[in-house]
Amino acid sequence: MATLDRPPEAYAEGRETGTSVSVHAGFPNPAAERTGAPLSLDKLLIRHPSSTFFFRIRGHNWHCYGVYDGDLAVIDRAITPRERGLVVWWQESGELVVSPFERAQQQNIWGTITAIIHSFTNER
Amino acid sequence: MQPTYALIDCNNFFVSCERLFRPELENRPVVVLSSNDGCAVSRSKEAKELGIPMGAPHFKFREFFRQHGVVAFSANFELYGDISERITNQLASITPHIEVYSVDESFLNLSELAIPSYQAWGHQVRAAVLKQVGIPVSIGIAGSKTLAKLANDRAKKIPELSGALDLTQQGPATDHYLAQMPVRDIWGVGRKLAPLLGADGIHTALDLRQMSPKRAQQLMGIHGRQMQAELNNIPCLPLQQDHKPQQMVMRGRQFGEDTRAFHVIESATASLAARATAVLRREHQLARHATVVLSTSRHKPGYQRVSETVRFYTPTADTGAITSQLIRMLAASYNPYLDYHKADVLLHDLVPEGGLQTDLFGIVDLPGNTRSQQRMLALDTINLKHGKGTLKYAAEALSKSWQPRKRLSSPRYTSAWGELPEARLLG
Repeated sequence: MATLDRPPEAYAEGRETGTSVSVHAGFPNPAAERTGAPLSLDKLLIRHPSSTFFFRIRGHNWHCYGVYDGDLAVIDRAITPRERGLVVWWQESGELVVSPFERAQQQNIWGTITAIIHSFTNER
Repeated sequence: MQPTYALIDCNNFFVSCERLFRPELENRPVVVLSSNDGCAVSRSKEAKELGIPMGAPHFKFREFFRQHGVVAFSANFELYGDISERITNQLASITPHIEVYSVDESFLNLSELAIPSYQAWGHQVRAAVLKQVGIPVSIGIAGSKTLAKLANDRAKKIPELSGALDLTQQGPATDHYLAQMPVRDIWGVGRKLAPLLGADGIHTALDLRQMSPKRAQQLMGIHGRQMQAELNNIPCLPLQQDHKPQQMVMRGRQFGEDTRAFHVIESATASLAARATAVLRREHQLARHATVVLSTSRHKPGYQRVSETVRFYTPTADTGAITSQLIRMLAASYNPYLDYHKADVLLHDLVPEGGLQTDLFGIVDLPGNTRSQQRMLALDTINLKHGKGTLKYAAEALSKSWQPRKRLSSPRYTSAWGELPEARLLG
């Protein structure tokens, strides 16, 4: 690729990365400075892929907290739940429920909620 | 330097996957049935204690299950495959030296790690997999794979060991575990060799370890010598790491004229898949993934393409299996208002044919696979003799294999947005 038979500046505009952007003068092309990958919601929301699961939220009684029936909960089993955090845990019947950490049966905790996603277009 | 191997094996893997999303089934008898013939392929400890044998046919045991409150599931391979991958990824983060031996078993080579106590390490890994993925595993550690497998078996069966056993040190303690191990349960002995050894007075792993190497070779050939060395903590079987050569087979074709008629698309896809799978079989390979891509003309406005990939948990080169899956997925995702120009079929993630026997799913599919191999051999022979395409799959035959989802199957909790587990907000 860069054999340096031309002055190094010739590669400075992003040619090296194969994008072949040529800037002649004036306003610099902002795309030439892009170095990283595109933003990824997966990377933002999923810290431990092997221990992350999605759940569907059921219930209408948390509207005041902005949590609605049909919302998507991101659960990470790898992190240790903290005070005031939300957890999924199971009741003796086997039913999986959501509550603040303090109200959960500690030995029955399934995982910690790291995010709740509410979609404004999906009808679920 | 003496290497160290660990075998990590999931306990009643399929049952454990079902229990992950049904916590009330803990401590209750649970079985998972193979999808086609309804035989028990995974049993919980409680189910084993009720005397339900491996391979118990559902139709014979239906009444028994009802009487004893046994919960039966149809195999949900999408779920098991997903959970298996999570565990593999977690183990691979410990060391890259991993051999994924089957869907629920992996060997690790620990030689490059500084581990002060293997037993404690085993318990840590076990606790981590249980917490982070939710699956109980057993761990056996030793200087050879055969001995690691034996340690694993003991760790699973002796509750006091809490799921991990270190047999890296040789001495009376290790001999004690070897003496408990019936020779038929040793990795590599099996049903054929066990009676042969029994006739020679070899009943336990300790007997086999101590028998004369000459006699071992007489009875079992070089394989026996190897097994004996392995039991003596002398490794003969290296880690079989997946080299995954980047290979695939691709066949594509343009339609005579752009079309929205599904039967044209269907038959094109079927013939492409037939040609691609023929290449696969000629090269003695099997595919884990198959993809079909359908695209409109690039030279017309509104260029569009759809691509569907299907994953086979048991790698396959079966024309029928691959074609029917691809067409089923295409039928769901193709747009009947678009005129398509071209179809491509890709088979990728290829594995050599010989690698198949190690897959636990083989238990479920083995008769089917042999049948399918014979069928494919016949198909290829006839087509070779009489020209390509002499024998074909009929479209009718394909539509028959669109089976409805099994009634006893659990939801695809981790792979379908519409089937996620639910959690209720507490008031």
